[in-house]
Amino acid sequence: MLPFAQVLLDGLFTGSTYALIAAGLALILGVVKVVNLSHGAFFSLGAYIAYALSTKGVSNPAVAVLLACVIAFAFGVFLGKSFINPVRSHPFSVAVGTLGFAILFEQAAQMLWGPHPVSIGAGPPWAVVDGVVVRRWGAISLIASTVILLAIALFLHSRFGLPVKLIAEEEEIAESVGMDVEKIRYLTFGFASAAAAAAGVLLAPATSITPTMGRVPLILSLIVVIASGMENIAAIFLLAVGLGLLSNVSAYLFSPQWSYVSLLSVICLLLLLRPEGLSATMPGRDY
Amino acid sequence: MIFSPRSTTGALALGTGLLLLLPLAGLDHFLLDVLASGFLLAAYVGSWDIVGGVAGQICLGHALFFGTATYSCALLTSLAGWPFAAAAAAALLLSTTAAAVVGTFSGRLKGPFIALLTLALGELAHEVALGQTFFSPRGAYSWGGEGGIPVALPWGSPSPWASYYGALLFLFLSTWGMTRIARSKDGLIWTAISGSELTARASGVDVARHKRRAFLVAGLLAGAAGVGFAAHVGRATAADFSLELSFQAATFAAIGGRGTIVGPVLAALLLHALFQGAGIAPAARVLLYALALLLVLRFFPAGVAGTLRERVRERNMVPEGASR
Amino acid sequence: MRRLVAACLPGIVFALAALLILLPEGWPQAGTGDPLRIGVLAPLSGPFASGGSAFLQAVTLAAEQANSEGGVLGRRVELLVADTQGRVDIARSEAMRLVSREKAFALVGAYLSEETVGVIEVASAGKAVVIVPVAATAEITDHVRREYDRYRYVFRIGYSIPQWAEMMADFLGRQGYTRYAFVGAGIRWNRELSRELGKALARRQVALVYEAFYSSRNPAFESVAVAVAAAAPEVLVLGDPGGNAAEFVKRVREGGATFPILSVGGTLGDARIAATLPLSAPLYVQAAAWKGASPAATRYAEAFERRYGYAPVGYSDTLPYDAAMILFQAIRAAGRTDSDAVVKTLEAGAFPGIAGTYRFDSSHQAEWGTRELRGNVIRWEPGGARIVYPGSKKR
Repeated sequence: MLPFAQVLLDGLFTGSTYALIAAGLALILGVVKVVNLSHGAFFSLGAYIAYALSTKGVSNPAVAVLLACVIAFAFGVFLGKSFINPVRSHPFSVAVGTLGFAILFEQAAQMLWGPHPVSIGAGPPWAVVDGVVVRRWGAISLIASTVILLAIALFLHSRFGLPVKLIAEEEEIAESVGMDVEKIRYLTFGFASAAAAAAGVLLAPATSITPTMGRVPLILSLIVVIASGMENIAAIFLLAVGLGLLSNVSAYLFSPQWSYVSLLSVICLLLLLRPEGLSATMPGRDY
Repeated sequence: MIFSPRSTTGALALGTGLLLLLPLAGLDHFLLDVLASGFLLAAYVGSWDIVGGVAGQICLGHALFFGTATYSCALLTSLAGWPFAAAAAAALLLSTTAAAVVGTFSGRLKGPFIALLTLALGELAHEVALGQTFFSPRGAYSWGGEGGIPVALPWGSPSPWASYYGALLFLFLSTWGMTRIARSKDGLIWTAISGSELTARASGVDVARHKRRAFLVAGLLAGAAGVGFAAHVGRATAADFSLELSFQAATFAAIGGRGTIVGPVLAALLLHALFQGAGIAPAARVLLYALALLLVLRFFPAGVAGTLRERVRERNMVPEGASR
Repeated sequence: MRRLVAACLPGIVFALAALLILLPEGWPQAGTGDPLRIGVLAPLSGPFASGGSAFLQAVTLAAEQANSEGGVLGRRVELLVADTQGRVDIARSEAMRLVSREKAFALVGAYLSEETVGVIEVASAGKAVVIVPVAATAEITDHVRREYDRYRYVFRIGYSIPQWAEMMADFLGRQGYTRYAFVGAGIRWNRELSRELGKALARRQVALVYEAFYSSRNPAFESVAVAVAAAAPEVLVLGDPGGNAAEFVKRVREGGATFPILSVGGTLGDARIAATLPLSAPLYVQAAAWKGASPAATRYAEAFERRYGYAPVGYSDTLPYDAAMILFQAIRAAGRTDSDAVVKTLEAGAFPGIAGTYRFDSSHQAEWGTRELRGNVIRWEPGGARIVYPGSKKR
């Protein structure tokens, strides 16, 4: 049973990786209802910043996270102010525009750091408990994803989160009570981008870093956030962990080649059984 | 006035006439090939607009229908030895069936969930295509996966002129058909559903059935574009199911003007011809594409044709002298 | 004012597009005289840009080298670059551009198997010689064998999959292993490689204890790493040449496994990546050639590093160099830029390259696996790479 215990733990860690990456998207898609297809690009940005710092000899992850968050926040606010806010009457165009930003970033990354994969040295595992290896970067993503998602949930339920939720639900009312809707929107977008970049920094040592590395994390984040119903932060975390476990367990027990297929199949099944998403509590919403 | 049925048909005829005469201006084989691919791509993007634009159901896995058609053509002709015409018919049937399945499932779903379902199905098909290989009858190597499967065509090497005019004819017929459908009763119902599903349902419309119908039409046309592509290129690869191809449909439709049919078709054709035919360096090409997306959508939020249409409508609605 | 600009914008864009399309422009043509035009097809954007850009860098180096020696038949070599974007339809169309519009005499490319099949179809129709440096699918040589008259212009420098398997098996057999595991990406050529390797190793009494292919889009590395460790092989063969392979090595070592790993090359041949990997157990990389294997290989590696700032990884940057150099040699030997003459010289001759001496068999496949052409296997060590096959030459 020992290898299976390892597989379960690894599945938990993989799932928390998904949750960590999806955290930022949960904020922007779940709350502000903007489909951000540049989410993967901000994730890659964080990874590249971590790499750039490591080549300069700075290996403290806290410094990297801080720097990545600041840079991503700046870019996020810029994108929000210059593109997302002006175009927000056409949500589909907003989504496609963010995709344009992602493509721009991919090309810029290729020009700045080259098209070849780069890597940061990953440290030894955190601990080995009873023969089960606790992978360092798995543990970090579990802790970080819990912290970030908890922070987002607490924020939304607090006094400060109220404006954000109001804007998501009833924008006209928010405007009429004098809220600076535009500012709150682009600030939220900045924070969401910073969260994505932080995820990139924390996961960089465990992966190989390429300009197009953000594509699959984007898809996984979209899957996790939308399929969970987009409203309940806890559901996002649970779904992410569930998918991680499923992916790893199916790879171990059946065929590693079809781990992604089983993940996708379960999502399709989920949508058929629960058309409103995993955490649907409200009656049918008209989009 | 600009977007009345008569003027659209007129513009369509004018555009087709130009394209008919273009090869006589002395285009070489390469440009004919680029434009032929462009016509097929434009038809594919136009088919997305039927379901994603007119009917408002955002489909992020449109390559599923395209790839089903190309793969069917390849498998049936190369492995099963069918003649191309029969394989093409089967391919159309299969892609339409896939669309019917997706359409049925999307009946119960709304907005982002349809986007997610189509995304997941597209990715699923891509993974299956990547992983599933077939032994070629010639032995010693396998087909499928990333390397693709050849399409056994009845003609040797098609003349670039034949490909060009064949693809042009296909684009003309499909665009004309799509604009007709968009203006038909079905199209109007789709537009209503796109605006507000709740209102449409309250008006007595069977929303689920019409969504399925939109997917059917879109899937059929995307499949037809796939068949054309298989005939033109002679090979089906897993990339025909790829996310990039699915996103391309949505992106060109956004630039052109979601819901206008003509906008996405033109955008796809012009951008493809520009990027592939004008000899732009790779880095510049990618940057140009990204900037085009951002800039066009910033200043034309509903796409070029869409924004123009909105402005025309606004102008027609506001009476003279009234303030906005 | 902004509205005016915005209104004019579509018109400007369309006019610009029309202008650019109708101008008979290709890539900028530099220089005077009558240059020898060689087309290069590789993916320069998208997910395969890594291999493609190394490919282009290598061929550029070869062209510069040839030009510094006075060119080919007195003519300067001019490279025509095409980005295939990893797609077969683009590769075909770009090949058409190079052959029919830019009048390339010969082509070097492409990178991926599916691109290459499209390219050889177009090039053969235009009677342009094509040298294939890396694409390993048997489909290419099968075309030459079955339709010789049509495809006789196609030659493959790189190793075929059975040859690849044989070279790796030769190394593994000499190391004395009896149990091996194979992990690759869930792509067709990895599966073919595993099959061929299985056959080659069975001949050497090495048994397969575990085989797995992970999804290339969203791989479940940990599960495979756990399963491999549980199977306790004596060596793990890693078939994935991409960035995922580096991740997988990290996972395997994290789990504490100490069996050696043999990689097919690619990303794991990159010194900068290897420097970040744990070397708690041996990491071997198979390559076409490596610095120190021969004077030619050393000269090349140093020239590449001087020019581009990083050491070549030994596959997607070495084979294209040899492909270009052999093409030039064949043209010189033929004495004139006539495709049929060049084909005859290639079929008949022996051509020295970095990796050894190239001869082609009846399917126009370079004969890898002979004493003169058998690649290298290196082992990563803290100070750099050490060649362990053939023989045990030190760097």
